[in-house]
Amino acid sequence: MRRKLLDIICCPVCKGDLVLQVTEEDEEEILSGSLLCNACRVTYEISEGIPNLLPRTASED
Amino acid sequence: MDDQVYPPEADTRLLLAAALREVRPSDRVLEIGTGSGEIAHALQASAALVVATDISPHAALAAKRRGVAVIRTDLFAGICGAFDLVVFNPPYLPTSPDDRIDDWLEYALDGGPDGRAVIERFIEEIGRVLAPHGRILLLVSSLTGIDEVREAFSRQGYVSFAVAGERIEGETLVVLRAIRDLCAR
Repeated sequence: MRRKLLDIICCPVCKGDLVLQVTEEDEEEILSGSLLCNACRVTYEISEGIPNLLPRTASED
Repeated sequence: MDDQVYPPEADTRLLLAAALREVRPSDRVLEIGTGSGEIAHALQASAALVVATDISPHAALAAKRRGVAVIRTDLFAGICGAFDLVVFNPPYLPTSPDDRIDDWLEYALDGGPDGRAVIERFIEEIGRVLAPHGRILLLVSSLTGIDEVREAFSRQGYVSFAVAGERIEGETLVVLRAIRDLCAR
């Protein structure tokens, strides 16, 4: 995902902001990393350039 | 293509043609349930921003490989911000529990017992990400109940009308265009 997509994504449960942590990035986009919702205490993965924002709750971890 | 991804069919083509007529260069576009990414990919040249979602990992990967900005989520659960144009070819086939096949492709097809389970959830919640003057293009089938879908839009404060239609084997496909009924406020 390109960094500018951060503006239009949110926690799928509480709709709050997500904190990005990049693991791998090229000139164009973030290839892998994570997106943390501080309010829900849930981390959503980015892999193969695709953020996985399927709703879940901390208890599912 | 991955056989777990819905390939472009007559419904895809009808919705794409309507979307190409509707889209404006300044539009921020959200396509929900992009599947192969056919529509989102085609709209990229005509809009300011195109973002797509899909619940299926197979579809998300297929769309991503075509250069679509795709987010894996349920409808638009992980999406915020205001979009000028929302495009959705939903699962609209009436499906009884006995018919269910329980694979990823099912999410592209299964509309619940009356075909409107996902559509009604979409109509109830889409206001959260739709700009005040935003437009919705929703594909529905006569199998889904076109009047019932229009009534669902009406109940949530939208006006809708058909902007495209095509009769195919055993059903009629229609593209509904919906906007907020600003006069009703």
